[in-house]
This record gives sequence, C-alpha cells and structure tokens, in this order.
Amino acid sequence: MIGFEPSEDQKLMRDAVAGFADTLGARLREVEKARELPADARKTAVEMGLGGSVSVAESHGGAGLGMVTAVLLEETIAARDAAAAFALPGAGALATAVAELGTAEQARAALESLAGPDRFGAVAWGEKAPNRERAGFSTTAEREGDSWILRGEKAHVLHGDRADVFVVFAQVDPAKGWDGVGAFVVEKGAPGLGAGPRATTLGLDAASFASVTLDGVRVPDAARLLGGDDFGAALVRFFVKEGLKVAARCVGLCQTAVAVTTTYVTDRKAFGKPIGHFQAIAFTVADRAMDVDAARALVWRAASLWDQVAAGTAKERDALLASGHAISFAQEAAMRCGDDAVQLHGGAGFVRDYPVEKLMRDAKQMQLCVLTAEHADQIAAACELGAPFDLGLVLPTPEGVGTFV
Amino acid sequence: MTIEFSLTDRQRQLKEMIHRFAVDVVRPRSLAWDRQHFVDEDFMASFVQMANAMGGGAGGFGIQGMSAGTKLEDEPADKKKKSGQMVSTVLSAEELALGDGALLISLPGPGLGGPPVRASGTPEQKERFLSIFKDMSQGLKWGAYGLTEPGAGSDVAGIRTSCRKDGKHWVLDGRKCYITNGGRASWNVIFATIDPALGRAGHRAFVVEKGTPGFSIGKIEDKMGLRASETAELVLEECRVPEENLLGGEEKYQSKEGFMTAMKTFDNTRPLVAAMALGIGRAAYEYARDFVKENYLLSRPIPRYAAIAERLARVGRQLAAARVVTWRAAWLADQEIANAKEASMSKALAGQAAIRACIEAIEICGAHGAIAEEHQLLEKWFRDIKVYDIFEGTGQIQRIVISKRLIEGLKGF
Repeated sequence: MIGFEPSEDQKLMRDAVAGFADTLGARLREVEKARELPADARKTAVEMGLGGSVSVAESHGGAGLGMVTAVLLEETIAARDAAAAFALPGAGALATAVAELGTAEQARAALESLAGPDRFGAVAWGEKAPNRERAGFSTTAEREGDSWILRGEKAHVLHGDRADVFVVFAQVDPAKGWDGVGAFVVEKGAPGLGAGPRATTLGLDAASFASVTLDGVRVPDAARLLGGDDFGAALVRFFVKEGLKVAARCVGLCQTAVAVTTTYVTDRKAFGKPIGHFQAIAFTVADRAMDVDAARALVWRAASLWDQVAAGTAKERDALLASGHAISFAQEAAMRCGDDAVQLHGGAGFVRDYPVEKLMRDAKQMQLCVLTAEHADQIAAACELGAPFDLGLVLPTPEGVGTFV
Repeated sequence: MTIEFSLTDRQRQLKEMIHRFAVDVVRPRSLAWDRQHFVDEDFMASFVQMANAMGGGAGGFGIQGMSAGTKLEDEPADKKKKSGQMVSTVLSAEELALGDGALLISLPGPGLGGPPVRASGTPEQKERFLSIFKDMSQGLKWGAYGLTEPGAGSDVAGIRTSCRKDGKHWVLDGRKCYITNGGRASWNVIFATIDPALGRAGHRAFVVEKGTPGFSIGKIEDKMGLRASETAELVLEECRVPEENLLGGEEKYQSKEGFMTAMKTFDNTRPLVAAMALGIGRAAYEYARDFVKENYLLSRPIPRYAAIAERLARVGRQLAAARVVTWRAAWLADQEIANAKEASMSKALAGQAAIRACIEAIEICGAHGAIAEEHQLLEKWFRDIKVYDIFEGTGQIQRIVISKRLIEGLKGF
C-alpha cells in the first residue's frame, strides 16, 4: 500500500522533536555565533535520544525505530536549524558506521560508551590530499602482533576536535587500492591521537569540523570493523544511509527557505502590489515548492525501502537506487531553495537580518556532507546498469571530491 | 496511516500484467499506428473485451476516466480509500504508456467527457450518456470534452462559443479546437457562454450528440507526435441542442458551478496525464540505459563512462521525483483531500522530466538515436512527449495554479 502519512507514534515523536527544535530556531543567530549548541539543548537532545542511533537496530544498540522515523526527525530539526542537526551530541555518523561495518557486539559497545551527556562520535574518513604514489588512503594501518598501528592525518571530520570515539579509515593493504581500506574504532586519549584546529567553514557554523592526526596510534585487533562478508558493500551502505539523513536535513532546509520566502514576497510590495503577484517571482516560488514536495517524497521512499530491506521485503539494490535519487535530488533542491530564497529577498537576503543567507550557506555545505550529488548519481547509475560499485568512483575519496563526514 | 511505498498484491499483479501487455503487444504495433494516424479499431475492440473480462471496463485495467470507463458513478469514498483507486490508476497508466501514448487517449469510452458528466450530470443524464459505453460489441464508442477554442486555451474563462435559449432548445455558435476523439465521439461535452461579460458565471456545459443539427467536424489536425490519436476541430453553427442536454440542468448554474465543472475535471486527470508522461519518459530512459549497457564496457570506470552514467542518473532521478509526486497527488485524491496544487505539481514535474528523458536518450544513443530505422521508437517517443507539457494545462499554467495556492491574496496575474 502506498501511503504518505506518518503513523501516530511518528507524529508524536515528530511533534516532541519540533518543540525542542523550536527552542533552537528561536536562537538561530546566537547558536551560529557561539559555534555550538547551548548546554541546555545538548542535554535535552541526549535525553530525547537524538544522536544518530534512532534507526540503528536494537540488536546493535540503537533505538530500532527505522529509517522513516529517522528521516522525519532529521527533517524536523533541520527545518529550524540545519546546522543543529549536525552539531547534536551523540554517536552521529559513527552510529551508522558501527552498525553497518561492525558486529552487533562492536556496535553495542561503541554506542553504549557514547550514551552519556555531551559525548560525541566521529568518523575519520577524508584526507587533505590524494596519495600520489598509489590508489587508496595515505593513512595506514600496519599489523604488529595482535595490534594495528595507525599513522596519518584525516581531514574534514565532523566533531573531530571533540569526539570521544572515532571510526578511523586507513589503508590496510596498500596494493589493493580502494578495496584495501580498513576501519578501526579508536578512543579519545589513545596515545598518538590528536586533533587539528577547528576549521572555519562556509556554513553549518554550529557544527565543528577538524582534522585528526594519528601518530602511531595502537589499537587492538578487536577494534577493527570488518564489515561482515563484504566490506565494500558495507561501506557503500554506510555512506548511503548517512547520506540519506543529510538529504532529510536538506528537505527541512528547503521547506523553511520556501516558507520564509513565500511570506516575504507576500509582504514586500513594489509597483503597487506584493512582489509575489508578479509571475517571475510566483513561478520561482512554485518551482521551489515543487522541489520541497519532490525531495521529501524521494527521501521518504528511500527510507521506507531501507526499512523494507531490514524486514526482508525489499532488495538492497533497490534501496541504494532510491537513496541515490533522493540524495542527489534533495541536495541540489536545497541549494536551489537557498539560492532563490536569497535572490527573491534581494538586498535584504544578503544581509544577516534575515535568515536566508544562512540557509544558502548551509545548503552549499550540505552538498559537501557525506556524499555529493555526483557520488549519489554514480551509485544510482551503477544500480540501474547492474555494474559493480567502483569504490574510487562512488565514494568521496581524496582522489575526487572530498566531503565532510 | 503509514509512510510506505509498497504496492498491494492486486496493484502488483495489475502493474505486471499491463507492463507485459504494453511492451509485448502494444509497442510492436505502435509505429504502424503512428504512420497510419489511427489505432486499429479491432485492436481496441479486443482491448475493451479483455478489460471487460477482467472485472468490468475501467476496473479491469484500473484506468478510470480516460479509457474504457463504463462506470456510471465513482466508487464510494471509503472503498476508494481502501483500494487506492487513483493510485492504481496512475500505476496502470504509466505502464500502459510504456507501450504507446496515443493508444491510451484513443481508447473507447467517455474519455475526458466522463468526469464532468459524472460530477455534474443529473441521474437521467448519467444514465443516458454513460450507459451507451456498457455494450460496445456492435461498435466502439467515444465521449469527448470540448473546451479549448482558437482564441481561448488555458484561459478557459475567455471562451467565446455562445449559447442562447430558444424555446426547448439551446442554440450554440462557435468553434472548438484540439479536441481529442472529438470527431468520432458519440457526444462532446461542449462549454459555451450565455454572455462573455459574465466570465465564469456565464458558462454552460452541454452534451452535444453526434448528428445534432448545426454540429459538424472541422479539420483533423496533423501533429508532431501522438499521431495515432485523433485531434479534431468542432464547428457549431446555429447548433440546436435540446434543453435536456444542458449538463446538470438549469438550477446548477445559479453560481460559479459551470466553471467549476470545467476545472474539477483536471484535478483527477492531471496526475493521470503525469503518469502517462512518465511512462513515455521511462520508455526512453530504459532504452538509453540498455543501449549504454550494450555499448560501453562497464568494468572500465573511464571518465567518459562516468559522465554518461551521471547523465542517466540525472534523468532517472527526475523521473523518480515526478513519480513520487504523482503518487502523492493520486493518494490525496483517494483520501478525498483537496489536491489541485499537488495535481498541478505532478503534471509540471512529469512533463518536464519526461521531455528531458527523451532528449537525453537521443543524445546518449548518439546518431543511432535519431535514425528513424533501427531506433524508430526513440524517435517517436521524442515527438510524442512534447505535448505532455502542453495539454491539460501547460507547465506555465500549472505554475499559476500552484503559486495561487501558495501566495496569499494572489487571485491571478
């Protein structure tokens, strides 16, 4: 059966989260200036269980509420402040990483250790520059007895300067290129682990992005996440599921951009009537409203397919394809909505009295979070063509366009 | 209530069956129909027979309104909600359009004339005009919808075809153009005005039967695409229509109802047209996808391949986006929730996405795609699709409908 209405439970959760997010929306610029969420909001978020593990199965230490619920909540928060959705404490992207790449036991352990207040998880994926000698990461993991020694520098890591637990990606087998990558759980305080300075970014100011240095960090073999029987497939699932959450945040941003702009073009008068009563303006608003509806429905559909995959009633490739469509569409829609919001506000949109310039900056940065539209397109095309995933092409490696993860 | 996108068993079976029929039976015939400018009547007759055998006219193929729809009334609301009738309809329409777009709009039945008769007709009128489609064993029958005029297309309020009461008759004068199946229809729902100065309040809708004195067929259009579909000009010269043929009877027109009759038709047909466009767009997209599969070495991620993959993916996502919006518009209709905005969105998105798909498919296939020998279907779809962003309201008209529902106080431009 096809349906477009959240369940009663989902509505209750969404309303509760909306109430919380409203308190952030009311402090939009304050939060942006402080470059972090206020302590009371961090506390409430943890109490509400927001923090990346909403959709993770209970067997893996998550809330087990499914992807549809997760994207509804992500959209709800991002509609008030997209940056807040990234800045929330909790496991964040790490939850998806350990759920997809780790065993149930590894996932539970990592998520339990992040359960307390003001704890952060992070995924150290990116690097500043490609390796010019060979394909794959410059950061390496070398075997030494029962341990692995990690060496290198990871870049563009969300919460990199404050995370308590990391999933670090490093080259395990230099000869195998992107098929020779491994993932390791590293805890804060491990000797040799350091964080670079926090980056000043275009948007998403409340969220912290930093580099992470690994100077001979030793982790036990048990810290390695093997990704079940197909590490590459698990890696793609991690990026796609986390990318779908970013897409849901994009939907929230689109919604707000259109709402704010619709109000503005109704109030602002020129040549004796509201500017929204001119076709050039009205049609632009209509186009962006279509973006909102289309992006939301695509994200819901992809999320619903993942829930069906979990229930054994849909194929993973179908969920990957639908997610590819949703991610690329929602990201580009967010950029269009942010851009047109500023454009239709004119000069008022360019100054910071109105929220739309923030929406535009946040939208641009979201296009560079987890997956880009181009990566999502390559994933969708591979699914449609029945081609194998070429990890160097479908993932945001330093060889191509790097992303914030 | 839930958010979900799986089909019911019945929908899945219907979709699968129509898919096979469209691809295996319809598609191979579509080029000949395109060349001869009509769909073979015996083919349509067996189509209707098959649909009837499967549970009665429209129900059989799940397509209401524009095809062999013989039901006198819409389904009751609660039944619609449960069965997802409109959702099933758009699912079916997309599959059938994979075969041939012209077939869908050429199918016998009341066509676009059905919805206004069902929505506004008196019980006697419904019986009189719709029951003729129950039995087509002696010959196929069509209904049609005559609104557009040479001087008034999207601006429906500006129609000039006049009507005046004369005893027990109404006398109609004017011309209608671009009327699908208008020439062969047993009757046309004709919109006319008692006084253009009254705007919408002056509109009257009549069921004008073939053979009515003063009613004649003008030219049959020669078109870019959908060439197998009949597009007719209708001429009304002192056309004397019996007063019983005034749709809904005299009292129906005390308010703006006349115009609403014209417009109500579109809230349900726009998602249907959107779904048809998606069928053609998908046909072209899948054609190009399969061409790429056969002509590129997929194991080599050379930059050239990545660029083509991205083009394919862009088309795929635009179709997917338009499809979910179309499903939503249909779902809203099934829930009896007002969907004018969403119906327009579905059509605006689907028309553009499908045109883009056809253009890209031609480009991806390169010279192959434009050769009307080996790749004739692609060339035909490219011609067929354009009108989907024009009929039932152009993309621009959809944006007017949408923005009027978004921007407070906006009544018109």
